[in-house]
Amino acid sequence: MLAMIAKEVRQVRRDRRTLAMMIVMPVMLLIVFGYAASFDVSAIETAVTGPVAGEVAGRLPETFAIVDVEVTDPVDTLRRGEADVVLATDHGGAIAYVDGSELFTARAAVAAFNAAAVQGAPVKSEILFNPELDTSAVLVPGLAGLILLFIGSLVTSLGVVRERQAGTLEQLAVMPLRPRDIFVGKIAPYFVVATVDLVVVLFVGWLVFDVPFVGSPWLLGLGAMLFLFVTLGLGVLISTVSENQGQAIQLAIMTLLPQVLLSGLIFPLESMAAGVRWLGYLLPLTYFNQIARGVMLKGAPLDSLLMPLGLLALLGVVVFGLAVLRFRHELGVSEATVAA
Amino acid sequence: MTRFGLDDVTVDEDGETALATVDLDVTPGSITVLIGADVAGKSTAARVMVGLRRPDGGRVRRPADRRRIGYQPEAAGTWAELTVAENLAFVASAHRMGSAGVDRIEALLDVTALTSATGRLAGRLSGGMRQKLAVAMAMLPEPELAVLDEATTGLDPVSRAELWRLLARAAAEGTAVLATTSYLDEAERADEVVVLDEGRVLAAGTAGEIRAGFAGTMAVSETAIPTGHAWRRGSHWRVWSPNGSHPPGSSLVAPDLEDVVTAAAIRRREGR
Amino acid sequence: MNALVSAAGVGRRFDDFTAVDGIDLEVMPGEIVGLLGANGAGKTTLIRMVLGLIAPTFGTITLFGGSPGRQARRRLGYMPQGLGLYDDLSVAENLRFASRVHGVAQADSPDLATVADVIVAELPMGWRRRVAFAAATCHQPDLLVLDEPTSGVGPLARAELWDTIHAAADGGIGVLVTTHYMDEAEQCDRLILMAQGRQVTAGTVAEVTRGISSVEVVAPDTAGALGRLEEAGLVALPGGGRLRVPGAEETRVREALAGQTGVRLATTPANLEEAFITLVAT
Repeated sequence: MLAMIAKEVRQVRRDRRTLAMMIVMPVMLLIVFGYAASFDVSAIETAVTGPVAGEVAGRLPETFAIVDVEVTDPVDTLRRGEADVVLATDHGGAIAYVDGSELFTARAAVAAFNAAAVQGAPVKSEILFNPELDTSAVLVPGLAGLILLFIGSLVTSLGVVRERQAGTLEQLAVMPLRPRDIFVGKIAPYFVVATVDLVVVLFVGWLVFDVPFVGSPWLLGLGAMLFLFVTLGLGVLISTVSENQGQAIQLAIMTLLPQVLLSGLIFPLESMAAGVRWLGYLLPLTYFNQIARGVMLKGAPLDSLLMPLGLLALLGVVVFGLAVLRFRHELGVSEATVAA
Repeated sequence: MTRFGLDDVTVDEDGETALATVDLDVTPGSITVLIGADVAGKSTAARVMVGLRRPDGGRVRRPADRRRIGYQPEAAGTWAELTVAENLAFVASAHRMGSAGVDRIEALLDVTALTSATGRLAGRLSGGMRQKLAVAMAMLPEPELAVLDEATTGLDPVSRAELWRLLARAAAEGTAVLATTSYLDEAERADEVVVLDEGRVLAAGTAGEIRAGFAGTMAVSETAIPTGHAWRRGSHWRVWSPNGSHPPGSSLVAPDLEDVVTAAAIRRREGR
Repeated sequence: MNALVSAAGVGRRFDDFTAVDGIDLEVMPGEIVGLLGANGAGKTTLIRMVLGLIAPTFGTITLFGGSPGRQARRRLGYMPQGLGLYDDLSVAENLRFASRVHGVAQADSPDLATVADVIVAELPMGWRRRVAFAAATCHQPDLLVLDEPTSGVGPLARAELWDTIHAAADGGIGVLVTTHYMDEAEQCDRLILMAQGRQVTAGTVAEVTRGISSVEVVAPDTAGALGRLEEAGLVALPGGGRLRVPGAEETRVREALAGQTGVRLATTPANLEEAFITLVAT
């Protein structure tokens, strides 16, 4: 038995990579997530309108960050995500329209307004889009994205790695197929499956958790397609740097974990320290979350979602491009050096 | 006649030399066999031959059009989750064979005796049948050059014989066949032999030429010889005398292929 | 002298698949017994029964006169196909572990001294096999069980390995070897040829090939002759411009090739592979 223990110790000491992972990673993760995890709201974006707007704006507590937005219709402003709160002032008092889809912000705002008064009259709060401030309504859209991410990246990467391990990837390379044929062929079936998955998850969300769906399915579909593109491309990218299935799973989990905590799914992005928030801006789930919440809870129109959609498209192009490049490099069938 | 092959090819992998100045010829209508152990470099040579790996030195002569090449990688070549018929159909469509492919598939199924197994998953075939399917897939597009990496490794003698008949058939159709193997006795089956050891060519030619090119004499002894040019085979020793004089008490024998290869390997090591 | 390993009609079934079907086996001290067969012939399953890792479904098997098990295994040295070495440890560390596990003092291995501190993963295959052999023999076993010991090594390493195996056998150790290389058959004192779990034949090379002959065919149109023979149901092995038909009679071959011009036939003794093919067919 002693001999066994001695041997195992020697082996572990030599395996620097696992040691690094076991010691360095927990510390890193703690620091990053420590800064990310915050339910506190640092800034509530508020638009103030009405005849006494200027006065009121000046007297609002610091948590309310005034945004310079032209408000014709408070509901529309909120729907477009231009502000978290629209405070419509009047000589007799004020109404605060609160965006219920921003859960923590809404709660903080309502609490503040309940204790405040404008022009001597209490502020009436009207919570739009998620009147009950229901957590699942806010979580489910993003969760759908998370599930897609998991399946998309993990399953796709395993599919390619399996083929490489079986040796058949080489054979494909020698056949008259282009690298992009192989790439698209590999992700196409997963595209279909993932789309079906998305529909099922959202349906269950609607059925069991009463998650609303007030916006355009086509818009959500567009967002989902772009998101899937990035996700599956990420899967292929992971497979090009993994030698075996174990490594692929490790990498897939490593790209998954940050997205759970840094994408705004649970902890609002605005509340994160600046350095950590930037990480969030690089993640595809962040944008899908914005799109899904916007469409499902608020019925946000296309032009208000152009930025997340555009960024997803950009991410998609980058990931796809990288994956195809690496694929081509790996399957690099060179031209005949000399025709016989 | 256009001959395919490698000219003075060198391949370096991770700082180690996988192939060093290797010359190899594959003639249409004939079978060239590349013999060597696992690390001899034969799989690397096969991959360079089909273009999966660009050599770091030397030239490769192969058909310019990938549709004219058939390749079976080592220990693979079939998709386990597809049936026999689906595997063949995929190759046919990847090579854009159209309706000619259908007839060709039928003919190959007949030749490999796989007609009754078309609906079976490739992963469930016996080793011999699976290899035959893999070779059939490589032969399907009637390629100008067919490269088969370790097609016979681990098979029983009957399956091996059947596989070699398939290769002979491919050669008869005009294909230039390059087969790699770790079995020295397959040298007798081929038209051309190249023996590889540690990335270098140890011997080349027909089996007869290699035997004839042996320098020195071989003898058999019942007792141990201390020179270092002797090795056991069964209960006796095979003794190699490079300069032609054999030790007392030993009897001269004609060298077989294994003797020639072992002697060449010793000569290389001593020449280092 | 008692047999080190003795098996009579031993077999092993897995659900509906019979991996080993009635094998007789005996290894005496100082002799090298070879199990020859393709992948899937049942060699590894038989070995595992000898080692006592799995129990036979029928038949009997004894190791050092008793039931194969952990105690009996102390007297044998096993070199599996995968070598059984720790890739991330050095040669010396591997040997130290092996000695300690067997409870023996670590012996000096002068020929491995130059690579003592090299990590196994960085050694070429030939050297790795030598280390594996040293690890398997560090406790002076009476029996060696080697599963495909020369797989993947070049000609020199293979010759050296067989020299080492013979030296061990000369010293009185019994050796049980499995291989799928026909040309290693001559290295063994006795052979057992296996196919699909069954024993095709057993004995020395001479005994196995006795009485079996092949017909050698020289024909100008080899491809055509091959086709004719195939049609007549005769297995023909092509090679070096001629064909060999194992286990056939000249008259039958002549009949099949009637009408082909310039055909010359000769009956020659079968080699081991041809004998194997002939015996499997019957």
